[in-house]
Amino acid sequence: MLSRAARPALSVGNAALARSAVPNSANYATLREIEGRLKSIRNIEKITKTMKIVASTKLTRAQKAMTESRTYGQTSNQVFEEAETKPLEDKKTLMVICSSDKGLCGGIHSGLSRATRRMVEGNSNVDIAIVGEKCKAQLSRSNAKQIVLSFAGVGKDVPTFADAQAIADQICLLPEEYASVKILYNKFINAQSYEPTPIEAFSEEAITQSPNFAAYEIDDAVLANMREYSLANSLFWALAEGHACEQSARRNAMDNASKNAGDMISKFTILYNRTRQAVITGELVEIITGATASEDM
Amino acid sequence: MSFAWKAAGITYNRYLAIAARVVRRSLKEGPRLQAERRGEMDLRFAKWQNGKQGENKNLGDANASAMAEHAAETK
Repeated sequence: MLSRAARPALSVGNAALARSAVPNSANYATLREIEGRLKSIRNIEKITKTMKIVASTKLTRAQKAMTESRTYGQTSNQVFEEAETKPLEDKKTLMVICSSDKGLCGGIHSGLSRATRRMVEGNSNVDIAIVGEKCKAQLSRSNAKQIVLSFAGVGKDVPTFADAQAIADQICLLPEEYASVKILYNKFINAQSYEPTPIEAFSEEAITQSPNFAAYEIDDAVLANMREYSLANSLFWALAEGHACEQSARRNAMDNASKNAGDMISKFTILYNRTRQAVITGELVEIITGATASEDM
Repeated sequence: MSFAWKAAGITYNRYLAIAARVVRRSLKEGPRLQAERRGEMDLRFAKWQNGKQGENKNLGDANASAMAEHAAETK
């Protein structure tokens, strides 16, 4: 009576023991599983390797475009440096976030989103315009109320100046007057590190109030044009540099992924061979014991 | 100083884009194809209101129509 009552609990315990023991004893059943995993890892390695090669070739072009656009943007901004233009404080600001549509490039998009959140935090006087789907998805979760515009379709190729102009036009057409426009992009420091950095594009008001403005004889009618043009210049610079960062980050990410896949492949091949040997040894032992046992009879 | 294109409601950037397009189109066949690739723009955009994304529209068309509207206002 007592033994029978105790039995269910015992059998449950046994079952639990048996379940936990199964994955440990790598035996006949898992051999095929290991083979399958090995195959899929090999395929993934092939894909990541190809993506790395594609990113490398795109990177050289992107970097060339970046260095060219950087001198372009810096030259355009030199006017404001000479005039010592300062952004107007406590006025409405627009942040333009330059990310892209494509992922699989490490943490550069989330780094940009994080920087945006940090800058926006505690400052309700900020609106956000986003270039690229990735940062849009991330920021629409936290700062959806502040987004006024989003652009998609960037990142397929090296950004053109026509892209920058169209974006600048759309920003200029926004109903609200922004005292300053901050363009946030990933600054290319070296192939390993990028830093979210803002560039300022000033409003007409800010330009006229800058201390050394009188040194330039600028007509009021021309000023609006200059402001639009410099916004497009800065955007072009930011887009090109962001693109180069993305390609370089993708190259690194894919390089790491291929390396990890290689590690996993070697680990799984060893495991596979060992399991195979164990299975063969087990079978041999079974045959031999069977033979000797039948001999005795 | 007044500009003819300003009266037509076109922004400076648009004016530049059009001028650049004209220059590109007047190039010789070989370099033209290469140069026209630099003038391509295929962006879509959406306006947001109260945390909701609006409709996705083609940026080039939207810019053109917005400027046409702007021109009608200034006249």
